[in-house]
Amino acid sequence: MFIGTEKLTHTYMPGTPFAMEALKEVSFSLSRGEFALIIGPSGSGKSTLIQHLNGLLKPTSGQVFFEDRAIGSDKTELLKLRRRIGLVFQMPEEQFFSETVFDEVAFAPRNLGLDEEQVRTGVKDALEKVGLDAELLYDRHPFQLSAGQKRLVALAAVLSLNPEVLILDEPTAGLDPAGRRHLFLLLDRLNRDTGLSVLVCTHHLDEAAAFANTVLVLQGGKVILSGPAEEVFAKRDQLYNLGLALPAVTEIMYGLVEKKLPVRTNIYTIDEARKEINKLKGRQE
Amino acid sequence: MVKQSEIMIEARALAYDYSGEEEPSSPALSGVNLTVHRGEYLTLIGPNGSGKTTLLKLLNALLTPSDGEVIVEGISTVDEERTPQIHKICGMIFQNPDNQLVATTVEEDIAFGLENLALPSVEIRRRVVDVAGLLGLNHLLQKPPHMLSGGEKQRVAIAGVLAMQPGCILMDEPTAMLDPAGRNDVIETVRMLNRDQGISVVHVTHFPEEAVYADRVVVLDQGRMVRQGPPAEVFNDLQLLHSLGLRGTTAVELAAMLREDGFALQPQLLHCRELVESLCSLELKS
Repeated sequence: MFIGTEKLTHTYMPGTPFAMEALKEVSFSLSRGEFALIIGPSGSGKSTLIQHLNGLLKPTSGQVFFEDRAIGSDKTELLKLRRRIGLVFQMPEEQFFSETVFDEVAFAPRNLGLDEEQVRTGVKDALEKVGLDAELLYDRHPFQLSAGQKRLVALAAVLSLNPEVLILDEPTAGLDPAGRRHLFLLLDRLNRDTGLSVLVCTHHLDEAAAFANTVLVLQGGKVILSGPAEEVFAKRDQLYNLGLALPAVTEIMYGLVEKKLPVRTNIYTIDEARKEINKLKGRQE
Repeated sequence: MVKQSEIMIEARALAYDYSGEEEPSSPALSGVNLTVHRGEYLTLIGPNGSGKTTLLKLLNALLTPSDGEVIVEGISTVDEERTPQIHKICGMIFQNPDNQLVATTVEEDIAFGLENLALPSVEIRRRVVDVAGLLGLNHLLQKPPHMLSGGEKQRVAIAGVLAMQPGCILMDEPTAMLDPAGRNDVIETVRMLNRDQGISVVHVTHFPEEAVYADRVVVLDQGRMVRQGPPAEVFNDLQLLHSLGLRGTTAVELAAMLREDGFALQPQLLHCRELVESLCSLELKS
């Protein structure tokens, strides 16, 4: 198992009247290089689960695995782990604290005790990975950047450690349509070109569905569906009952099927829909 | 229903300049003329940094104009003594519900604004019960807000605003942090208040699918109003939207491509359902 959990249970404030079981015997595993989505209604345990995956929380019971080894509580081991599994929180730019973009991205490499030469290379590479002009931005104050750029700098700050797994919680919250699209295309490119494993918690299948190869559905702290993206998305009624929505373009295809037009419904992008609907053309009178 | 005759808010030659403050890149506004009518549902769209939030804050006196003026029900927002009155007329809902709930129970939270008005407690109780009933929050009144779902929290925030008996609700990306069910919940609630109570709505959103319910859509870019009109017109102006990094609804985007491919679809369709119906009417069936 590359990364995953085995009967992972997490209880917040155990032994108090406020005890809350956020995860209940969650088991799943992902292979290296996957692009996975975690979906589920608010409060289903998504954020709790991802904090376990890089050792920020300790299991109440059960285990978390990385490269077939259970994540323990040894501090040096955990630090190493967090270098290899990067976590990007929701609205990460709200946690900026440096005066320049360079210092913001350099924080983690410096913390590892790398020399300034290595830090400089790390920062440059990370900013270039997210498609920003490193030299141009080094001395800018992070608050002078646009919303989309701030989000990318936050991403670069995590990528500066060259993680093998990138976990993101609602990475597009608050971004405009172009910014949202840009971010998912970037994640897709990093996943394809560098083999980075990507795990995204999202409420927006409209923008994310097309990129995923694996999907995990949580409800009430339990995994209730998981598997290849197409198989999970095919369970339309079950997702609907959970208050989850398939992409609008997929709904259009289902609408056509209901009207007896012979089209596929495993379609998640407008371009695919265009191709599929064009196949009907030969039939046009 | 008499709609859109009376003026609720009027912004004239409105300008705002953040220069001199700490964040020099914050969006400025210039030359904005905007009228919000009583009972109107208005959506504001535009790329990040186009000035949407700044405009919203100017409309209820959280900011005062650098130039031009904003008149809310006859009161200018520069009249500091009457700012509380403007806040009562124009309630604001923010992106993150966790940042706007302050009390230990839902009931106290809804009552919070009312208590600041020094109303008799019988009146406060009556209004809280009324709005809770209207928004379906009765069963949650004794719960602590942090135990609620995102959609429920946002409805509690709306209830708090509604208890002040506002003429207008201003919303800054109210669904950004919510799951699909929560998003529906909030949008349905706001549409109901607009339709049944005649409350004006100004709604900032990045989601075309949410913006289509408005009477009018206003597009901002770099601090200026660049387009306004009914949703079916604005969201079919793909040339403009794409040039600003925005997009139409999925149905509009797909329909535009299919028209290029020779499908004679009905013009200005907006919703998925309309696209499906229009495609079916082409008699593609054998």
